[in-house]
Formats: sequence, C-alpha cells, structure tokens
Amino acid sequence: MLEFLVENLAPIMFTTVMVMLLLGYPVAFTLAAGGLAFFAIGVEFSHLSPSINLFWPLLQSHPERIYGIMNNDTLLAIPFFTFMGIILERSRMAEDLLDTIGQLFGPIRGGLAYAVVLVGALLGATTGVVAASVMAMGLISMPIMLRYGYNKPFVSGTIAASGTLAQIVPPSLVLIVMADQLGRSVGDMYVGALYPALLIVGTYCAYVFLITLIKPSWAPALPREARTLGGGVTSLAVMILVAVALYYLADMVLFTGISPEWRMVISLALGVGVIFLIALANDTFKLNIISRLAQQVIIVMIPPLALIFLVLGTIFLGIATPTEGGAMGSAGALIMSLLKGRLSFATLKQAVESTTKLSAFVMMILIGSRVFGLTFYGLNGNLWIEHLMLSLPGGEYGFLIVVTIIVFILGCFLDFFEIAFIMVPLLGPVAEKLGIDLVWFGIILGINLQTSFLTPPFGFSLFYLRSIAPAGNWKDPVTGATMSGVKTSDIYKGVFPFIVIQAAMIFVVIAFPQLVMVYKSGEAVIDPSKVNITVPMSSPGGAPGMTLPPLGGAGGNGGIPGLSPPPIGGAPSAGSSQGSGQSGNTLGLPPLNGLGNPPAPANDPAKPAEGAKPAIDLSQPPKFN
Amino acid sequence: MAFLLRLSALIDAITAAIGRSVSWLILVAVLVSAINAVVRKIFDMSSNAWLELQWYLFGAVFLLAAAYTLQKNEHIRIDILSSGWSKRTRDIIDLVLHIIFLVPFSSLMVYLSWSWFWLSYRTGEVSANAGGLIIWPAKSFVLIGFILLTAQAFSEIIKRIGVLTGRIEDPLLDAKSADHAEEVR
Repeated sequence: MLEFLVENLAPIMFTTVMVMLLLGYPVAFTLAAGGLAFFAIGVEFSHLSPSINLFWPLLQSHPERIYGIMNNDTLLAIPFFTFMGIILERSRMAEDLLDTIGQLFGPIRGGLAYAVVLVGALLGATTGVVAASVMAMGLISMPIMLRYGYNKPFVSGTIAASGTLAQIVPPSLVLIVMADQLGRSVGDMYVGALYPALLIVGTYCAYVFLITLIKPSWAPALPREARTLGGGVTSLAVMILVAVALYYLADMVLFTGISPEWRMVISLALGVGVIFLIALANDTFKLNIISRLAQQVIIVMIPPLALIFLVLGTIFLGIATPTEGGAMGSAGALIMSLLKGRLSFATLKQAVESTTKLSAFVMMILIGSRVFGLTFYGLNGNLWIEHLMLSLPGGEYGFLIVVTIIVFILGCFLDFFEIAFIMVPLLGPVAEKLGIDLVWFGIILGINLQTSFLTPPFGFSLFYLRSIAPAGNWKDPVTGATMSGVKTSDIYKGVFPFIVIQAAMIFVVIAFPQLVMVYKSGEAVIDPSKVNITVPMSSPGGAPGMTLPPLGGAGGNGGIPGLSPPPIGGAPSAGSSQGSGQSGNTLGLPPLNGLGNPPAPANDPAKPAEGAKPAIDLSQPPKFN
Repeated sequence: MAFLLRLSALIDAITAAIGRSVSWLILVAVLVSAINAVVRKIFDMSSNAWLELQWYLFGAVFLLAAAYTLQKNEHIRIDILSSGWSKRTRDIIDLVLHIIFLVPFSSLMVYLSWSWFWLSYRTGEVSANAGGLIIWPAKSFVLIGFILLTAQAFSEIIKRIGVLTGRIEDPLLDAKSADHAEEVR
C-alpha cells in the first residue's frame, strides 16, 4: 500500500492539488501550499524510492527562482500591454471607432455586424481587454443594431465573439504568457498568430456575409435617416489614394538612402500623416475639401492604426522587442488620450492600480506554479505526464487533438492564466518530444483559450455581454418604441455558430501549420546591443546549483528546446514539422528567451540529440535575456 | 479582539499605502522603457543599467503589491464550485486556508529569502552585466514582499474571524461590487 503511494506520488499530487484548487482559494497560494506539502511528503518518503529527487536544502533555491521570474524581460510586457489597454479603454477609443465604422459600413446589408467584427479586431490589436471590448460593443452597437431590426441571437453572438478577438490578435497577454511558458520568443509568437488571427476575423466576416444572403432580415442595412455622417465614400477613397501615392513616392524616390525598415516607417508616417493633417484642417477650418464621413473616418481611425503600427509594426520589423513595443504603445496611448483631453489624474491612478493588481496576481500564480513545479519535477511528474501523453494513439495529431479537447473542457471552467501556468509547462515538453513546433503549439492553445471565453456555462465573454444587455423590456430613447429584452438563451444561441467557427479554425491551424510557420522566414532581427547576458551566480547562502529545472518557462526546463525541427531553409511554408523526431534534451544549450532564434546556426540540425533522458539538470544553464 | 482588529486595520493601512505607492512605478517603468527604446534606436546608445531598472521596477511593483492585492481580494480564484456555497462556508474555508496554506508558504519564503538577501547585501553583490546595478535592492523586494504578505495574511485571518463572529461588516462586500466593473483581462 505504502509502496503504491510512494511510486504514484506525482499523480496523487497532481490530483490533490487540482481538487484543492476547487475550494476556491486564490490559485497562487493553493499551488504553492500544495507544492510545499508534497515537498515535505516527498522528502520523508525519499528513502523508500530512489526515484524521488527531493531533499530539504533544495527549498533554498526558491528565492533564486523568484529572482529569475523578476529578471525576465518577456514578462515585463504584461504590465505594459495591460496599462496601454486600460488607458485606451478610458480614452473611449472603442466608442469612437464603433460610431464611425458603423456609419461607414451601415449602408450595406449586415454593415453594423461587419463593423463590430472589425472594431473587435482593432481593439484586440490595441487594448487587448476582452471585458472592455465586449462591454463597449454591447453598450454602443447592440441598441442600434436591435433598433434597426437585427436578429437578437445574431447580434449577441457577433458581439461576444468579436470581443474575444483580443485574446488571439497580437499583442495579447495570452501569447506573452504562452511564449514565456514554452520558452519561445514573444515576437515569434506574434508573427505566428498573425495569419490565424486574420483568418478568424475573415471567417467571422464571411459568416456575417452568409447570414446576409440566407437571412437578409437578420441583418438589414441602416435606413437613410440613421446615417448621421451622410455619404461621401468617394472622398475617402481619394484620400486613401493620396496616402498610398505619398507612401510610394517616399519609398521609391525621397528616402532611398536609408535601411528598408526605416524607409517603410518614414514613408508610412508621411502618407498617413498628410491625410490626417488634411482631415484635421478640414475639421478645424471647415474647409469642406473632403466629406464629413471621410474626415471623421480618418480622424478616428488613424490614431489607433498608428498605435497598432507603433507596437506591432516595430515588433514585426524587428526594430523593437515586444517589451519595448509595449512600453512605446503605452506612451503612445498616454499621448493620444492626453491630446483627446481624456486623461485625468484619476484615470491615470486607476490605470496604474489596476495594472498593479493584475500584475501581482499573475506573477504570484507564476511563483506558486514554480513552487508546485519544483516538487512535481522532483517526484518525476513530468515523466508521468510524458508517459501518459506519449502513449496516446495517433502521434503528433493524436496528441494535439487530445490536448485541444482537454483545454477546451478546462477552458469552460478555468481562466486562461490558470491553464497557461499549470497545463502548458506540463504539455510543452511532451510536444517538444513529439517534434511539434512550440510556436505552432502555442497558437493552437491560444485559439483554444480564446474559444473558452465563448463556451457556456462559464464563458467570460457571455458574462460580460449578459451584464450589459437589457434583460427585460426596454424603451428605445431614439424611436420611443418599447423593445423586448435579450434573453440568455438568445446569447447562447447566437454564440453557437461562432464556437463552431472556432473549432473549425483550431483544426485548420492543426492541418495547415504553414499558417503559423511564417514566423521562421521573417525572423525578427535582434539588435546585438540589446542582448544582455546574465549568468546566474551560484546562489550565495543557498545550495548553489542544486536547482531542479523550473517548471517550464524561462529557465532551463530540462527539456530545453534542444533541437526545434530543422529549419527548412527559411522558406515561408515550412510545412509540418511532423516526423522530425530529433528533439531531445540537449542539456546545457542555453534557451534564447525573448530573442527569437538567431538565424541559422543556433538551430543546427546536425547537433546530436543526447538521448531522451528526462531532465535532472543539475547545473542551471546560463540564461540569455 | 478589539486590539487585534486595530492591528489588522494598521496592517491594512500599511500594505495599502505601499501597494498604492508602488503602483506608480508602473508609469515610471513605461517611461524608462519607452525612452530607452527610442534613445537606443536614434542615438544608438544603451546601458544595461536602464534595462535592469525596468525589471527592478516591475519586480518592486508585483512583489510589494501582492499584499495589497490580497487585501482587495484580487488574487484570482477558481470559483466554479465555491460560488454556489453559502457565504459562511466560503468565509470558513478562507479562514482555514489562510492559516494552513498562506501563512506557512509566505513565512517560509520570508525565512528562506532572509539569508539569501543578507548575503547579497553584505557582499555588495553587483549585476554581472557591464554597468549593471547593485543587486541587493532587487533581492530585498522578495524579502519585503513576503513579509508584507505574511502580515496581510494575519490581518485577513483576524478580519475573517471578525466577520464570522459578527464583530465587523465584511470589508470586501462593498469593495467587490464597486470594483467588479473594473475587471480586466
């Protein structure tokens, strides 16, 4: 009996801690307490089983491990993007965008629904806050859509789903956490997520289009009297042409002397800046050169687009690291909201406090999961999980499908931070072993987690929408008519097609890894001056070097990304990484976190895989942050 | 008990003051990072001290504000089951788990990080990066953070007992509804 317990301590630990989590006590402390309790049990039993690698002095590695979490450039992006999102939310960018884009697309059938999808994507690329997106769209667009006869489930589904785009469109927090936990660079994660995200946005639009074809009455065009900005699409088209022409003029003629990235930045700035100034001048001096619609669209759209470029463009072009992108985005958001006159001291105070509380709980979960991980790895829990997952039929695809189903189910109950911190470090090494590209794996999980916001009964997006949608009859202030409320069943019904779309998207990304693999061709160029090399010093006072591999994440996770599948000549379609079963644990190969793999040499496919030995890495490998 | 409640209020005041003050370091970190990025690109200069300062600041924020976050009940929980239980049940669970989960964990961390910090302080440990900062202040955040968290844990225990015995109103009840709309993810 005792022997059985000792041999199965890892599964027992896992199950016990999961049950403890259900008590509803803060996740961070439950994980830490569970880790410590089983640490004590493990040490007591270690004389009974040679496979238990736990001993008291190991505890002394904890402060150093926390220090490792602090000293991590990747995670620094979390507060920056959160802060930027809150500032933008408070500057009421969502409201402005919805009003204007709604006017722009209103005259076509299903126009308001397209507007919601597009604004959802734009908000995702800037604020990245699902709650804010869903609430803003629900408060502004929903009443208008219902007023002009849109179908209630259709409206609810579109708004709830478009709000979740914030999860998958870069720069989302999920992708940062995922990159950190899988030991990949955030930049690669963002590039990898780009096409799947665009595909999802496109499919949402296609769904709206389909509805306008088969159920035109569900999504009518706005009647003429509702188009407050009037027509004038022609002058908008002219302005766009002007911007494009200026861009090419600058790119081909004016600034040929500088590097391509900077030439692109400057040319874009010129083209866009000029039409923005024209629109501003038109507004201020009532010039009437361009239509009011064009003027509004330009004034409202350009600042967020510029901000998106400032953040994502610079990251994709390799000019900035994601952390710097986040900081510049935050600074840009502050400037934008200051210029709009919507930045007060109270707003700022609230923004820093919300960011602080979010950072504290996220980082404490990470600390808790590290405490849990130290024990779990000491009990060979990683081997247990590996054994469990590798025995699945179907190899790579069997694993991906099972993981998708597990995360999908967990996602109905857990928050994405919990899944990312508890499950991903356990699954990552197995994926690595199966030769699955970890960025690809991360994106698949990311879409899964996005979907979890939509699945009843605990989809957060549904809660947010429910909290602001009128439940009972309400009086429309514009028409004076009494409208019936939105039932919860309407929301569930409307969101169902989107869940189907999401599931289809997960399988599309699994079936076509090329969608993600583009990150390999467009390797972000890293400025060497940014590279700072930290060699952990033997922890004084503690037990130098007796660090067990930390649970996934930044440090050497034992299953250090030894050999990611051999790079396929940097071709855009790297194909499936199936069959490159070479990834082993090359002990001691430093993980290159937050850097993006330097071009070819680091991924030398010729490097021998040093057996599939699990990972008791007795020397903490040097870290490059 | 009255004395304990006063002690709890004192702890709350201290952790809240620290939590609120360090939250401004987020703004400082944003500015440092953004300016550093721009300067690095345009003037092609950078120093490790500026890079290190960013995570120093962030470390200070999340470690020193962990106690304040606990006080505001913003550490995330899995409430699928517990949301269906009575408030009294949840209060009792919180009380018990504060005592057997949180206090042992955070006091152990205080114990472990003390000698770790002290050695760094005594030897004047400096970052291995060229031009890097001294390390012990960063390490002190770990120590201070867990001291505050332990103190806050005791304050929470006192408050839960107070609530369960009907001596005080639950301080989280009004805070909860006010903050709910602020939820960020």
